[in-house]
Amino acid sequence: MDVSMLQRTYSDLLTSLFREGILNQQFTELQQLQDENNPGFVFEVVSLFFEDSGRLINELISNFNQQAVDYKKIDAYVHQLKGSSASIGAEKIRSVCQTFREYYDKNDIQGCYNCIQPLNQEFVTFKSKLEALFTLEQQIVAAGGSIPMMRH
Amino acid sequence: MASSQVVKVLIVDDDVLTRRIYRTMLFRFGFEITEAGDGKSAVNQFLTGNEYDLILMDNDMPSMDGVEATRTLRGMGIPAKIIAITADANSRGAFLDAGADEFLLKPVNFTVLTDILKAFNFLN
Repeated sequence: MDVSMLQRTYSDLLTSLFREGILNQQFTELQQLQDENNPGFVFEVVSLFFEDSGRLINELISNFNQQAVDYKKIDAYVHQLKGSSASIGAEKIRSVCQTFREYYDKNDIQGCYNCIQPLNQEFVTFKSKLEALFTLEQQIVAAGGSIPMMRH
Repeated sequence: MASSQVVKVLIVDDDVLTRRIYRTMLFRFGFEITEAGDGKSAVNQFLTGNEYDLILMDNDMPSMDGVEATRTLRGMGIPAKIIAITADANSRGAFLDAGADEFLLKPVNFTVLTDILKAFNFLN
């Protein structure tokens, strides 16, 4: 695939991520922090997010499967996940975390439980799409092109 | 300001990712960055003789939250500018009463933060 086609594919994918609500403006803010002094900044912070959040979600699922569920601990995990997803612009993940905390504040345990599977699914989707985006970035750079800057 | 010409910043947040983002932003301005993972560690920075011009302070942290850390630092006579940056909108009053100079909600808008840094004369 030539560079211009890769760049078009990249732009289309990024646009779709915003249109579908998977990313929000905060992601654009991160992209604007990336420069020649920090060329891999977005990849680095998103990779950190994948690692931390994957661990948190596994802890959440594990805690919910225990006989005595520690809801305070679970709320702490979700609070952390909400904060980090908001920091990188992972809007759908942030939104599910927000919904979870609203149920938690109302002591609606079933509501909390019903958020876990959607949360995991949104994380899986987010990870898959961002990994595809980063793969395209690598291909564009390897082909001698530059990453298209998007305005949202 | 601290004795050096370089602006010295203490980033106080228990989230590694958040600290990484702030570090990248502030490093672009040529600031010197130190990180602390909770309020107690932040206070210890000053107790061990370090000086900072600016503190970015989260609230919800283990061992000591941001409001308490702010109150403690002001009680120690620390003059550094303190910008509270937190997801907890309800903590605004407590932070300002404790002595914070500014309050921002997460996720931080970098343009807004830059404007505050200019207002504090940290940027030319």
